[in-house]
Amino acid sequence: MGKKKSEVYSIEVNGIKDIETTNEEDGKEKCKGLKNHLGCEKKPQKEELKKELDLVDHKLNSKELEDKYGTNIIRGLTSTKAAEILAQDGPNALSPPKQTSEIIKFLKQMVGGFSILLWAGAVLCWIAYGIQLSQDKSASMNNVFLGVVLALVVILTGIFAYYQEAKSTNIIASFSKMIPRQALVIRDGEKKEIPAEQLVVGDIVEIKGGDQIPADIRILTSHGCKVDNSSLTGESDPQSRSCDFTHENPLETKNIGFYSTTCLEGTATGMVINTGDRTIIGRIASLASGVGNEKTPIAIEIEHFVHIVAGVAVSLGVIFFIIAVSMKYPVLESIIFLIGIIVANVPEGLLAAVTVSLSLTAKRMAKKNCLVKNLEAVETLGSTSIICSDKTGTLTQNRMTVAHLWFDNQVYQADTSEDQKDQLFDQSSATWASLSKIVTLCNRAEFRPGQESVPIMKKIVMGDASETALLKFSEVTMGDVMERRKRNRKVAEIPFNSTNKFQLSIHETDDPNNKRFLLVMKGAPERILEKCSTIMINGREQPLDESNAEAFQTAYMELGGLGERVLGFCHLYLPEDEFPDTYPFDVEAMNFPTSNLCFVGLLSLIDPPRSTVPDAVAKCRSAGIKVIMVTGDHPITAKAIAKSVGIISANSETVEDIAKRLKVPVEQVNKREAKAAVVNGMELKEMSPEELDEVLINHTEIVFARTSPQQKLIIVEGCQRQDAVVAVTGDGVNDSPALKKADIGIAMGIAGSDAAKNAADMVLLDDNFASIVTGVEEGRLIFDNLKKTIAFTLTKNIAELCPFLIFIIAGVPLPIGTITILFIDLGTDIIPSIALAYEKAESDIMNRKPRHKKKDRLVNQQLALYSYLHIGMLQSLGAFLAYFTVYAEQGFRPAQLIFLRSEWEDDNINDLEDSYGQEWTRYQRNYLEWIGYTAFFVAIMVQQIADLIIRKTRKNSIFQQGLFRNKVIWIGIISQIIIALILSFGFGSVPILNFTRLRVQYWFVAVPYAIVIWLYDEFRKLLIRRYPGSWWDKNMYY
Amino acid sequence: MAALQEKKTCSQRMEEFRHYCWNSDTGQLLGRTLSKWVWISLYYVAFYVVMSGLFALAIYILMCTIDPYTPDYQDQLKSPGVTLRPDVYGERGLQIFYNVSDNTSWKDLTKTLHTFLSAYSPEAQEENINCSSGQYFIQKEFHAPNHTKFSCKFTADMLQNCSGLTDPNFGFEEGKPCFIIKMNRIVNFLPSNNNTAPRVDCTFLEKNHKDLGEPLEVDYYPSNGTFSLHYFPYYGKKAQPHYSNPLVAVKFLNIPKNKEVIIVCKIIAENVSFDNPHDPYEGKVEFKLRIQK
Repeated sequence: MGKKKSEVYSIEVNGIKDIETTNEEDGKEKCKGLKNHLGCEKKPQKEELKKELDLVDHKLNSKELEDKYGTNIIRGLTSTKAAEILAQDGPNALSPPKQTSEIIKFLKQMVGGFSILLWAGAVLCWIAYGIQLSQDKSASMNNVFLGVVLALVVILTGIFAYYQEAKSTNIIASFSKMIPRQALVIRDGEKKEIPAEQLVVGDIVEIKGGDQIPADIRILTSHGCKVDNSSLTGESDPQSRSCDFTHENPLETKNIGFYSTTCLEGTATGMVINTGDRTIIGRIASLASGVGNEKTPIAIEIEHFVHIVAGVAVSLGVIFFIIAVSMKYPVLESIIFLIGIIVANVPEGLLAAVTVSLSLTAKRMAKKNCLVKNLEAVETLGSTSIICSDKTGTLTQNRMTVAHLWFDNQVYQADTSEDQKDQLFDQSSATWASLSKIVTLCNRAEFRPGQESVPIMKKIVMGDASETALLKFSEVTMGDVMERRKRNRKVAEIPFNSTNKFQLSIHETDDPNNKRFLLVMKGAPERILEKCSTIMINGREQPLDESNAEAFQTAYMELGGLGERVLGFCHLYLPEDEFPDTYPFDVEAMNFPTSNLCFVGLLSLIDPPRSTVPDAVAKCRSAGIKVIMVTGDHPITAKAIAKSVGIISANSETVEDIAKRLKVPVEQVNKREAKAAVVNGMELKEMSPEELDEVLINHTEIVFARTSPQQKLIIVEGCQRQDAVVAVTGDGVNDSPALKKADIGIAMGIAGSDAAKNAADMVLLDDNFASIVTGVEEGRLIFDNLKKTIAFTLTKNIAELCPFLIFIIAGVPLPIGTITILFIDLGTDIIPSIALAYEKAESDIMNRKPRHKKKDRLVNQQLALYSYLHIGMLQSLGAFLAYFTVYAEQGFRPAQLIFLRSEWEDDNINDLEDSYGQEWTRYQRNYLEWIGYTAFFVAIMVQQIADLIIRKTRKNSIFQQGLFRNKVIWIGIISQIIIALILSFGFGSVPILNFTRLRVQYWFVAVPYAIVIWLYDEFRKLLIRRYPGSWWDKNMYY
Repeated sequence: MAALQEKKTCSQRMEEFRHYCWNSDTGQLLGRTLSKWVWISLYYVAFYVVMSGLFALAIYILMCTIDPYTPDYQDQLKSPGVTLRPDVYGERGLQIFYNVSDNTSWKDLTKTLHTFLSAYSPEAQEENINCSSGQYFIQKEFHAPNHTKFSCKFTADMLQNCSGLTDPNFGFEEGKPCFIIKMNRIVNFLPSNNNTAPRVDCTFLEKNHKDLGEPLEVDYYPSNGTFSLHYFPYYGKKAQPHYSNPLVAVKFLNIPKNKEVIIVCKIIAENVSFDNPHDPYEGKVEFKLRIQK
């Protein structure tokens, strides 16, 4: 059954299932464990996500291929034909993920958030004008003007938000535009270097070690070509590529090379069979990008907050509309009240301030190597509660390094830090001299020429990871390797291969007294030991007896147990009489001894952790963030690295460890006793979601080893089921579904593929785990600071709203105009609210748990109540005091003002009497009203200064925080004052803005209230600090 | 970015809301238990009582600092406004349109004048003293009864032909209507620094009436159309509870019939300005007049 279906191979690339083939021998589809709940039953629904890959090219021979693609294997395509196909198929590049069109983005800014409320206000203004116009031809243009202003406010803030958004998008766009790759192609019988984008199906390309494969190719000829398919399959072991058809499945067969995988060594020629989005990678990538972006936590918080404010605005507006109508105000006037209430309630400048704060943080994070693609992701990182991190490159340095040596029956430790400056092991032994010689000579890796000035550790090496490590190790410890190799000329060599598992070379020596050839060999320790009959101890050869072999075994096990890759080294001086100078060594015939060698020592290699990582992991732990390691590596290696960086802490054990300690079978151990867990990819495959949940809940220290990138997605989903905010790191193309699925996907800037970067929300420029932690810190800080910003901004809403309410209910002349309110919201308050983003953390934010995304809201009840009903009320009273002062000192005492409105606003009364019997014309009253607006405005401004200062902290006293530490706050305060002065004096004679000059003392009327606000808040903070957990703390701490 | 928000159905939301309103498990009403509500309400009551107290105190202090007789500042009252009786407003300011032959069209106008002048009847002015000095009536002390200052009498009969006593129709009937010009009161305001009394001067608005040829003929009552200086300064409502503004009546003699004219009456005095572009009623009053026949 399976055989019959094998003509067409379907790959499910819906990001949930492993890439799966149907040619299983048992003839039925395996639907086990995690996959079955998603894969099998749901197949029909998933049909649209499923893409079929019918690739048969690997089965065709060269002739058939030539026919199929109309090309010539020797001469390639003709340029004209290539151009034709290019025009037809399009360039060979992954089409970027579908962007929302700019217009849509712009319009979204125009109607998002509060904009819709303000639009409503503007439209109401125009309707009101329309009604006025129909009643009275000479209706004043005030309402039109206000409507225009409101519309302008919406448009300007929209443009601003759009601009900010576009700016941050541009950063990433410029980043992802990399140098165009070149491909070596044969066209018209000539080799040409062309941009890889111009490749077309049927092109014959040549690749060599180090190249990225430019398209899906069918290999035609190969010379020791090996590829790294890890970006596709997650398996990082090099795979050889040849022109033979070895497997029915195109993904398994050796004669297909996939786009974006890298050729590690060797050379090959191939025919392009798929380009661009039609490549396998292209299909996965386009699928992953098809998954829509969901809302970020901060977006939800802001939405929540907008809902609260809009709810308050609309319900107050409607309530007072009804009150106004039932108080016999004309409907028209009631509509105007409604507009005033809406404008007063909406913090017009807040969203802009939030955007700026976020982008400031994004900039700060970019400096610390976290490039944030989506502004809102800044905060997401702060609320992260689980980080699923890759091992290689993120936690580790991503280069094999010599970690331990074993010779003279002793284990020595090598320096594995980033620069490897201090190699402190004993180098006096004669055994070391021999060992170092083998390490230097039995090595095919070479430094790329022309890097004399580059530090050794940064030099680029041609060769595989282990050989590179050994080359650098010997360069560091012994000095110029290339020179020594020259002096010890290589006469024969057998490269490493997986069947014999050793590498051998024969050299002339540079010792003039010793004409013997030196045979050096390295390889898998047990294979090397088999070939030895003696062992070198302290420079002398001794027969390899039981005890020596035992010592070797112990050392081998010990180093292996550390998760290190162990290599054995041995040598043999070939007798001069049997092997004279001219002896023809033949590696095919092996006309030299390969047994009875002299064992010299072991070296073990590991990809060592980055030096900053253990600290960062510890920081995560104290910050309540669980770090889960997800790696494709062997469990032992994974566990060793996890232990060395602290993901598994020193004293915690896995179930297996407990079993070993208690000498009982694994099944008998109580799983809850084990803090740590190392889960194998195979085990994960068998687990049901419930079992995975159990693992995630019960163990605090988890390592997933031997996992495929697809399983990463399963792990992410598991974590999200625990209500965690999950950050995931990834670099391969196959990581992109997991990156998308995660709350915040972090792509590696150096090792990451474009697809991963596209799918991610953040790019880690230095691939360093520690950078994530600094990002978390910034994210938490901005959450706290946004709270402060919002609290600051919301407060004055009450002071802006109350005038309208009092105006409607008590009929006093209007204390503050709608336009004046806009000048507070978008004028004096903007810079201070942004300044709060610069506030330093109050306490160590990395010492508390991550916020619970459903319980710890950005705007909670306490914040709203405290801002609205406490400080906001105080502010209103202060502002009203200023208002009453102005009116009283100019002739209208408070009592007189009550219900004066209808006469006050009557254009036909030009001799309105005040409390002193003086008579006022309409214009004189109007001007007084504007003085009132200005005084009210100034009073709010003055109290907002106090508000700004108290919002610096939520718990600590201002003096603990330091009044002058955040200089930007002072810039904010000065800006408030200057803007107010400009408005009052600069436009004093322009009546349309309703600002007038003020007598000096009116600037200070609200100062006592500002002081009261500050004292009250200090009192609040004092009680919170004194009585944590008390009723006060619960109700007053926001 | 992952799905953080599960889609909730409407009924789920309603259920959640209901649960929020009354949570029977914890006895929470709108998120708080009853005792918690009592506590928080008590706190808010106390907080607002203290705040209101503070505000009341602040207002009290403000009122204490305010002079009951004169306002602290008269920033807007540098120059008095001027009003007209009868005052009928159209779309743009005052406009008095009537038909001589149609009684009803001007009855309301004369009624307005009668009502207005009723405050100037001898009975209404009884509390005030007779003045004839023609000089500023400066009173430093409170010599009048009840610790007040004296006010000068102004009675309707001083307006002679326009008093409504001799001609209850104020000349409307004959197309030579009377209008009353009133200057707004301002505490301690002196119209001029020397002893020139402020005078009313009515003309056709020049730019509109180049074609009229002959200037407006006006009879002013009291003669010369002056506000006698002994009505100044005004000491405020508290010091002069019975003070009434002096008036000037103007009788227009040559209003062209069936034609809309714009007349402006200015107060000519040293301290009265009539050129504020924003305030049409400062120091002058403009009105449209149209007499049908």
